[in-house]
Amino acid sequence: MQDSSFVQLFPQQASTFAWQVDALFGYLILVSLVFSVPIILALFYFSIRYREREKYAVPKEIHGSMVLETLWSIIPFFVSMSVFVTGAIVYFNQYTPPDDSMEIYVVGKQWMWKLQHSTGQREINELHVPAGRNIKLTMTTEDVLHSFYIPAFRTKADTVPGRYTYVWFNATTPGKYHLFCAEYCGLNHSGMIGTVYVMDPKDFDNWLSGNAGGETPVQVGKDLFENKLGCASCHAGGPQQRGAKLEGLFNTEVHLVGGGTAVADEDYIRNSILNPASQVVEGYQPIMPTFKGQVSEEQLNGLVAYIKSLSPNAAAAPAAPAAKKPDEKAPAGKKADGKEPAAK
Amino acid sequence: MAEQTTEHHNPHVEVPNEHIGIPGYLGVFAVLVLGTILTYYVALMDLDWIFPGANTLVALGIAFTKMTVVGLFFMHVRWSPRLVWMSAVGAFFWLTIMFAYTMQDYLTRGTGFFGH
Amino acid sequence: METVGAIEAGSYGTAKLNYLNNGSTLKSWLLTKDHKRIAIMYLISVSAFFLMGGLYAAAIRLELLTPASDLFETGTYNKVFTQHGILMVFFFLIPSIPAVLGNFLIPIMIGAKDLALPRINLLSLYIYWVGGAITLWALMQGGVDTGWTFYTPYSTTFSNTYVLAVGVGIFINGFSSILTGVNFLVTIHTMRAPGMTWFRLPLFVWSHYAVSLIFVLGTPVVAITLLLVAIERVAHVGIFDPALGGDPILFQHMFWFYSHPAVYIMVLPGMGIVSELLANFARKRIFGYEFVAFSSIGIAVFGFLVWGHHMFVSGQSMYASLVFSFLTMVVAIPSAIKMFNWTATLYQGSISFDTPMLYGLAFMGLFLIGGFTGLYLGALGLDVHLTDTYFVIGHFHYVMVGGQVIAYLGGLHYWWPKMTGKMYSEFWGRVAAMLIFVGFNLTFFPQLILGYLGMPRRYAAYPPEFQVLNIFSTAGASVLGVGLTMPLFYFLHSLVKGKPAPDNPWLLPGLEWRTSSPPPTENFDTPPVVTWEIYDFGDESGLDLEAAKREAATVNA
Repeated sequence: MQDSSFVQLFPQQASTFAWQVDALFGYLILVSLVFSVPIILALFYFSIRYREREKYAVPKEIHGSMVLETLWSIIPFFVSMSVFVTGAIVYFNQYTPPDDSMEIYVVGKQWMWKLQHSTGQREINELHVPAGRNIKLTMTTEDVLHSFYIPAFRTKADTVPGRYTYVWFNATTPGKYHLFCAEYCGLNHSGMIGTVYVMDPKDFDNWLSGNAGGETPVQVGKDLFENKLGCASCHAGGPQQRGAKLEGLFNTEVHLVGGGTAVADEDYIRNSILNPASQVVEGYQPIMPTFKGQVSEEQLNGLVAYIKSLSPNAAAAPAAPAAKKPDEKAPAGKKADGKEPAAK
Repeated sequence: MAEQTTEHHNPHVEVPNEHIGIPGYLGVFAVLVLGTILTYYVALMDLDWIFPGANTLVALGIAFTKMTVVGLFFMHVRWSPRLVWMSAVGAFFWLTIMFAYTMQDYLTRGTGFFGH
Repeated sequence: METVGAIEAGSYGTAKLNYLNNGSTLKSWLLTKDHKRIAIMYLISVSAFFLMGGLYAAAIRLELLTPASDLFETGTYNKVFTQHGILMVFFFLIPSIPAVLGNFLIPIMIGAKDLALPRINLLSLYIYWVGGAITLWALMQGGVDTGWTFYTPYSTTFSNTYVLAVGVGIFINGFSSILTGVNFLVTIHTMRAPGMTWFRLPLFVWSHYAVSLIFVLGTPVVAITLLLVAIERVAHVGIFDPALGGDPILFQHMFWFYSHPAVYIMVLPGMGIVSELLANFARKRIFGYEFVAFSSIGIAVFGFLVWGHHMFVSGQSMYASLVFSFLTMVVAIPSAIKMFNWTATLYQGSISFDTPMLYGLAFMGLFLIGGFTGLYLGALGLDVHLTDTYFVIGHFHYVMVGGQVIAYLGGLHYWWPKMTGKMYSEFWGRVAAMLIFVGFNLTFFPQLILGYLGMPRRYAAYPPEFQVLNIFSTAGASVLGVGLTMPLFYFLHSLVKGKPAPDNPWLLPGLEWRTSSPPPTENFDTPPVVTWEIYDFGDESGLDLEAAKREAATVNA
């Protein structure tokens, strides 16, 4: 990875879309050269050829040229449009996580990254991921803005208090990579750095089993839902339940009281827990109390993960990666996600 | 052309501008106070039965009316040359730009556009 | 015409009563309504802020010489870069060209006695002083560490530094900009001399017209935004902090609605100066005058529609990002048009390379890089990687320093004889210009590479593999520092020992060269009537070229 013995001039490429960003960069360098080299050459040529030969000479007056003006308006326009379109395509790729992504939850906090795998392992300022698998990070923060930035993967997104943002990548090359906080977040901003370990899938499985840590987010959520917060008393129990039905809810469109619809995504669920009265679903009374201040960001992640798991078809299929390793003595969360809710 | 208009109106503006007199100004003041009181009472009512967010719209409507009255009478735009009218309208247009382009973010968040 | 004909190269006006020797008491300066005296007071104040901002910059570069945060505590470093940004942006870059050169030259260039609203002009200076004083007081009390961008909720809830006081300082300072803008707009509309039609206005005036539009339409928004930050900080009204029910991204929308156009406030007057320099030192009418003039207005208007490109990774909706990226690409066109027209202006000219022209040419080179790196950052997919890295730092310093500061220095050298009646040392002027050009590139080009490598901005400590490029950057900064300090010395020296400046040292046709150096308080002995086209270097403009040539010949002989 990083080699301090020589001056590095180009960053490593370690994700599937890194080459696209680099290609775009190359294209822009090409565009810059194609436009600036002639301008610079013209500046030098004119400066020499038309240098002052006689004091106070009166050169021929030239007012302008409609043809030239049109040309150098239209051509840059089409060039900049090509930059816009290619930029947009790369952007689309960077921010559209594939459906089969393995999910990891990220909470930023002054001044550390707290990460949790869907299998339960927790990490601080370190992230272990397998090479060659799509990984989606669902991110938020406990305090101020941060920005999750892995230069080698060419991806970055701010984490915003009060909502979720997402980053995904598919790491190509095993190795160690920098993880930076890129949005200024106060005193120890430059200390909010970490390391991403991209591992061979086999090594990753070993790492996972060696670090069988804690409950999975779904289990955390289930526990909160059924026991600690008592959500189940309203949101479970069949037709006479007072709260909205949550099974199959995720990523569907819900109709709200007072008209309007919303897509029940992560932010919607989060908001419904913290500000229930703001988005009441048609057919229900606004009786749910707010849970603001009672749940931490990580517990919220758990609740969201659990509610997502109640919709096995709509949610991305996070179960897949875990299911691939039947040989391991499965840590508690191994067969998590999509399966358990069916039992409910 | 525009400045000719300015010059044309200048002597008119120089005249002490009691365009609507003290009673007129008091009337405008009354409108403003009434608007404020109205804003308060509307804020206490739930107007969501009309459509969601109706409260905000009504409050903004009252505020806009008050603003227009202040601009027209207190700030004398009513009696000003066209260039001043243009500037006043231009400023509101700019405000609209700010609101519109900010709202294009808010209204398209979480609509499922591009995956989320 | 004849009445304004004091334009032979040899004529000196210093014996007369001029704006400088017309009253020498402190009161005659502090209560003056003369735009030229106000400009001089702005010049002194702005230079003081530039010096302070520069010291902070030196501190930043010294800290970044080594990877560890060893020169300062990280908290101190955070304050240093924040205060560098605040002083430079709000108290130097934004007021410098308009309030100093614009203030001094716009009335003269359009043939007026003063600005339309002289008292307002003085008021704007006092407001600037009050805003500056409050800000400096806050810095001395302990400073502020939010970054000049004041992003919420850090600035409203988490920072326990003097955010409020600095916010108030900037809020007050904003009114100075607004008043200057209003003043310029009214002046350009109503005070033009007979015959000074819109299309005879120097491009310097056109660019200030565009800038004034931004001042008037944009500055109130940043004032309101900072007011809202203050309200949330003091009264805990939930506007930006989600814990109180607000939205932090709303702050970014409001902040950048002003602060992106503010970038054009900084660079547009610079473009105006460069248009003057290139046309006058090539002795040629600017190529495509109307296109250059309207591209300034185009930049001012479209510049208001692109602010979201600061927010591509902020959590703004992807749809909004697409729209903002598209508009960003569109706003690149007017700048490109200017670039091409400037280059074409040199074609078949008669180019001399005095100090101001060196700055003009340096601007062309540096703004090319500054402008193109802007395109990199406007391209969505690339911006995801580059934003909040040193690439952004490099980019905006290429625009702000490579564009605005270089142009400001060029303008200062160009009009220094007019403003002070003294000539500076041409030799030292050229040496400084070269040093600044070399030092600047050495400082900021490595930062572009660092940015692509992924070094985040606002880091007091950084991974060791970035050190070599940072050493280059710091080395360049010391060259740049020397280069930027030199004008201070030879300008001051010229005031004492400089040769008296002729009224028209380069025999140029602009109205400012048709009055004495320094100009009388009323600007012109007789009100000028303009009968010639703009940038007309021939006989039609009333220049006595033959006499000047004869004189040049005798000097050489």
